[in-house]
Amino acid sequence: MNVAFSPRNTGAAGRPQTPLRAPGLLSGLLLGALIAPVAAAADVFVITHPGTDISAADVREVFLGDKQFAGVVKLVPVDNAAVQPDFLTKVVKFDAAKYAAAWTKKSFRDGLNPPATRGSDAETVAYVRQTPGAIGYVSTSPPGNVKLVQKF
Amino acid sequence: MFSVKSSNGSLIRASLIGLAALIGAGPAMAQSDSARIRDLERRLEQSIKLIEDLSTKVKRLEAGTAPAAASAPASAAGSTAAAPAASAAPAASAAQIASQQARIDSLELSVSQLGATAASNTVLGIPLHGFADVGGGVAKGIGGAAGKGFSVGSMSLYLTPQFSSRVKGLAELVFEIGRDGALATDLERLQLGYTFNDNATLWMGRVHTPYGYWNTAFHHGQQIATSLRRPQFIDFEDKGGILPAHMVGPWLTGSVPSQSGKWRYDLFAGNSPRIDLDANQTPGSGTLNQNNAGSTNHYLMQGFNTSYQWRNGLRLGLHGLRANVRDNSLAPSTAGLRMLGGYAVYDADDWEVIAEYYGFRNTNLISTTGAPLGTFSSSAGFVQAGKNFGLWTPYVRAERTVLNQNDLYFAQQASGRSYGRGAIGLRYDLDPKAAVKFELSSTRQSVAGTPNSTDLRLQYSIRF
Repeated sequence: MNVAFSPRNTGAAGRPQTPLRAPGLLSGLLLGALIAPVAAAADVFVITHPGTDISAADVREVFLGDKQFAGVVKLVPVDNAAVQPDFLTKVVKFDAAKYAAAWTKKSFRDGLNPPATRGSDAETVAYVRQTPGAIGYVSTSPPGNVKLVQKF
Repeated sequence: MFSVKSSNGSLIRASLIGLAALIGAGPAMAQSDSARIRDLERRLEQSIKLIEDLSTKVKRLEAGTAPAAASAPASAAGSTAAAPAASAAPAASAAQIASQQARIDSLELSVSQLGATAASNTVLGIPLHGFADVGGGVAKGIGGAAGKGFSVGSMSLYLTPQFSSRVKGLAELVFEIGRDGALATDLERLQLGYTFNDNATLWMGRVHTPYGYWNTAFHHGQQIATSLRRPQFIDFEDKGGILPAHMVGPWLTGSVPSQSGKWRYDLFAGNSPRIDLDANQTPGSGTLNQNNAGSTNHYLMQGFNTSYQWRNGLRLGLHGLRANVRDNSLAPSTAGLRMLGGYAVYDADDWEVIAEYYGFRNTNLISTTGAPLGTFSSSAGFVQAGKNFGLWTPYVRAERTVLNQNDLYFAQQASGRSYGRGAIGLRYDLDPKAAVKFELSSTRQSVAGTPNSTDLRLQYSIRF
């Protein structure tokens, strides 16, 4: 922004003129505004361990601790820090603070522990593949060694 | 060919029966996780070995290379018991094998999960959670409980160990400074649970008595409660509450989902509380004691709580509680506590509204204080509403009790007098785990000669 007051941008009267890069700046803002909704709508792929059956309608309940079993299998939800904002927005319909508060209340009343957190898609896929009952989410189409529940 | 089929079918049938017996035997609940893991692993290995042997034999039979040892008895079986047995029992179908395989897969998953749980607890330890709060305030009137100046609130530490996929625990220790300045330590909760499925968990131990909404939702968790203080009449037993906020006994809890929301329920039973009078056994000086060490009066407290929670954030519930409560005087009185009430909670769209009502029809069963025998009606309730504006949440609350002083249950408690209180407050979230609250409240006592009070309080609370 200091470009606007550089000597090269000063007019004959010595007053600052409209920044030469203003059109570029406006374009950038416009582009950002156009891109932002696209970024907010990033895909989220919910995946499970191959031996775990869960429906898309149950995913929110699983991540809020209200559904703990799929048949006899104990479900093990795992958060993916890299995709969590999109997942919370699109699937859980909570923001991060409300999600954390909900789990604090759940833990305090019902003695449940919140999901463990992995840092990336690769870590999440590896955990889900290795852990019976695991359910997680990633940002790209998952490999074949985990089960895709639904793309949100 | 017949002899081959007979042999094959008998083997498969015998093997599957054995396999089913191995798998079907349910794990003993009393076994420890490690014992269960070892037992399950042993049985899994036996099952896999059995299947492998069976597969090998089937392949050999299909290839026509059945060993003489196997064919000889089968050939002879035409005139013995083997033939009718084989003809009576159909050969195991692929569906049966698939079914058994599915059960083995399920067993394998259970073994893996038990192992994973044990490994997780060993490697990572058990997470420790907690709440803490400090504060201060000024009070006008003797009824101002906090007095003036700064104070330490309480620190609550709780653990939520998962011993296996279905067995869990919750232990909570609370440290707080009493009105006399002494440090008090309470084993606030110690409960062990077994989760049958998504609809039912059975707890046993010392728990927060599940009446209304507030008592189990917030309790010592000041940081997750919007307001600075609990409504007085549902405060802790030694802080002015008139109901047993804790109990020792079993508690069945769960929920059943439906299309528009879910039904929640709680069924509980425990030791009936008693009323401990002061050292001089002054009538009306008592506080509730939950009988943690065992029932001294041999009365059972029972209760229920059921509610429906809609997906839009509204929850409506009914709750009830009954107990016979005796005081600890040399000539004790006994009162029958009978509470029935309802509550409503709305928690959505940045609004939090909580209303609870408690109706009492208590009976004086034995009176040694001169109070008349009979049944008396009383009531208590509060309404609180708050709206979130980003980091700020202003709130307002009104609470009121009308407690019949002929009722021994209330008359023998020091806090069993009618009162009314109005409060306004403001909460500011420093971050998602820390909040500062201010509350101004005015309390009017119903007993003549008891001064009213006005309090202005500050609280800084965290969770971790």
